Amino acid sequence: MTENKFNRRDFIKLSAVGVAVAASTRLIQEAEASGGAKGEHQWAMVIDQSKCTGCNQCSLVCHANNDINPNMDWNQVVTAGEINGKTVYLPRPCMQCENAPCVEVCPVGASYYRDDGIVMMDYDKCIGCRYCMVACPYDARVFNWEAFTGDNPAVPEWGEPDVERRPRGVPEKCSFCYNRIDRGMSQGLKPGVDAAATPACVVACPTGARIFGDLNDPNSNVSQMLKNHPTYRLRESLGTKPRVYYIPATEENMLEG
Amino acid sequence: MKTILKTIRENIFTPWGLWLSFLGVILLSALIGGILVFWKGLVITNLTNLVPWGLWITIDLSSIAVAAGAFSMCAVVYLFGLKRYEPIARTATFVGFTGYSMAMMALLLDIGRPDRFWKSFVFWNTHSLLWEVTMCVGLYFTVLLLEVMPILASFDWLRKKFPAIAHKMEHLHHYAPVLAIAGLALSSLHQSSLGAVYGVIKARPIWYRPEMSVMFMFTAILGGIALTLFASMLAARLTSKAKINDALIERVAQVLGYMMMAYLYWRFWDWLAQTYTYEPGRTEGFELLTKGPLSFNFWVGEMLVGALLPTIILLKRSWRQTPLWRMLAFAMIVGGVVAFRFDTNIVGFLAVISYLPGEALVQYTSYTPSLVEAVTGAGIVAFGLLAFSVGVKYLRVVDHRITSEEHEVVTLTAGDIVKAGD
Repeated sequence: MTENKFNRRDFIKLSAVGVAVAASTRLIQEAEASGGAKGEHQWAMVIDQSKCTGCNQCSLVCHANNDINPNMDWNQVVTAGEINGKTVYLPRPCMQCENAPCVEVCPVGASYYRDDGIVMMDYDKCIGCRYCMVACPYDARVFNWEAFTGDNPAVPEWGEPDVERRPRGVPEKCSFCYNRIDRGMSQGLKPGVDAAATPACVVACPTGARIFGDLNDPNSNVSQMLKNHPTYRLRESLGTKPRVYYIPATEENMLEG
Repeated sequence: MKTILKTIRENIFTPWGLWLSFLGVILLSALIGGILVFWKGLVITNLTNLVPWGLWITIDLSSIAVAAGAFSMCAVVYLFGLKRYEPIARTATFVGFTGYSMAMMALLLDIGRPDRFWKSFVFWNTHSLLWEVTMCVGLYFTVLLLEVMPILASFDWLRKKFPAIAHKMEHLHHYAPVLAIAGLALSSLHQSSLGAVYGVIKARPIWYRPEMSVMFMFTAILGGIALTLFASMLAARLTSKAKINDALIERVAQVLGYMMMAYLYWRFWDWLAQTYTYEPGRTEGFELLTKGPLSFNFWVGEMLVGALLPTIILLKRSWRQTPLWRMLAFAMIVGGVVAFRFDTNIVGFLAVISYLPGEALVQYTSYTPSLVEAVTGAGIVAFGLLAFSVGVKYLRVVDHRITSEEHEVVTLTAGDIVKAGD
């Protein structure tokens, strides 16, 4: 009769212990969850919609620098209404959210935060489950449904590839040109000020609609812009805390431009 | 070679031979489709950046859901001590094992880098619900493998050729109660988490609600038990290899009927709460279900045939006692659960909230599976049918005459539990 001692009480005890362990791991994890706002620098971008003319040059240099398939976009320039007969554009890179849904959901941790707030993709870890694409509120991720082989039409006219091409079967996204930031800083350059250390789209914009810099530095141009202009972020109600801010186009600032 | 050909020639026109050939043709086309997918990549599917999960994920979700009979029945038999349902648990375990195998096949097709599936076990993001699902499914598959061993041991050929191995496999039955605990814990976790995979996605309001996990768990238990009973009854109609105890099934059927009523109650409030006030994205998504392209699936598949009719059949005694009606009711429940999974997955993708500022704009997308998705999907289902057919024919998967007398120690074990329960 003592062959097996599992009875209901044991089962309940065992389950209770199991649940407690699971819950505590989860709580510890929750505490660490929020994204990477701890580094010395916090990179951010401000996009002035009143200056954007929809010329799409940001996308072209993006394609060249990051060697992106021409049918895919890390940075999309979409139309967002019109003011006084002039079309208003909205360029949309990855928002580099502080609470990034893609990082939260990735089962293998292939999406992760850098200390400077950039949301990164480890393309070697990624298994291609696409949960991040399902979770992203900004459609910022594009999937490599097929391998990108052959020439990149944006090269060399719009720049030279600076990063490796991604393999078939992984989603990819804008990285704030972390490679340019890292290389530039190692040369003593200042991202947002020196072109070589600044994301390619910011450098390429002919009207200066994009501003890049460090939120932790009160004198950086992004900090100044945020101080002196009303700005908004996309789908702010979701609490993702994007690091891309927009200066809305208004009747007044459209006249200036 | 000659004898094999002769055997084939003699048996191909028997019902069993024709059934195997039919499944064989589907499996062969699916194999070709599968090779194409691995070779060409996911570009040959109709999945897009806006609809990244489609038919395969539906099959994955559905097979995991309708495999839930295994943990439910094992819990009933080995933990709650209702020993008389043991033969049903045996069928359920085999169906569960088959279901999880199907789910793994669907996932392997679906992920972009199938060669790297193992990374999901090595690299952990414990914050991700999909991580939890991966871990639980992996562990639970191991549990099912151990649970299914005693069933595989009833293969005559194995018993004759390797009696020692067969005996060892059978011996695993001693651990049935322990395995049932592990199965219950792991299944409760991942069946719910699968719903939460959708439920936590803030970006898509039609999914973003806490009861998704509860709904997934509850419908899985319903669908899992229903599929086990349907498959048993159908098998018994088609072959003398399957022996059922109709009274036993009928008792479970009545309980299932009451559970369906609870489900209808939950679903009603789930439904009403979503119509109560306008919420961008959620309301549009809900209209796709109730008035749009998914309305047939929703009203007929999920509600009328999938829930209301089987509840009535299972609760009205004279209908429940008619085997054919009861069997149909089980099939309807399974269909309802599959329709629920399909609709839930797709509706979140068909109405997308635009990220543009100002009033939330809703964009509509569409998705129809490509031929290769459909063919490989059919192959996965055919695999499940084949596994069950072989199980019925050679492994006595549906045999309600099997009682614990064959495993004497289990009689003691089960007796112990009943006693502890009292």
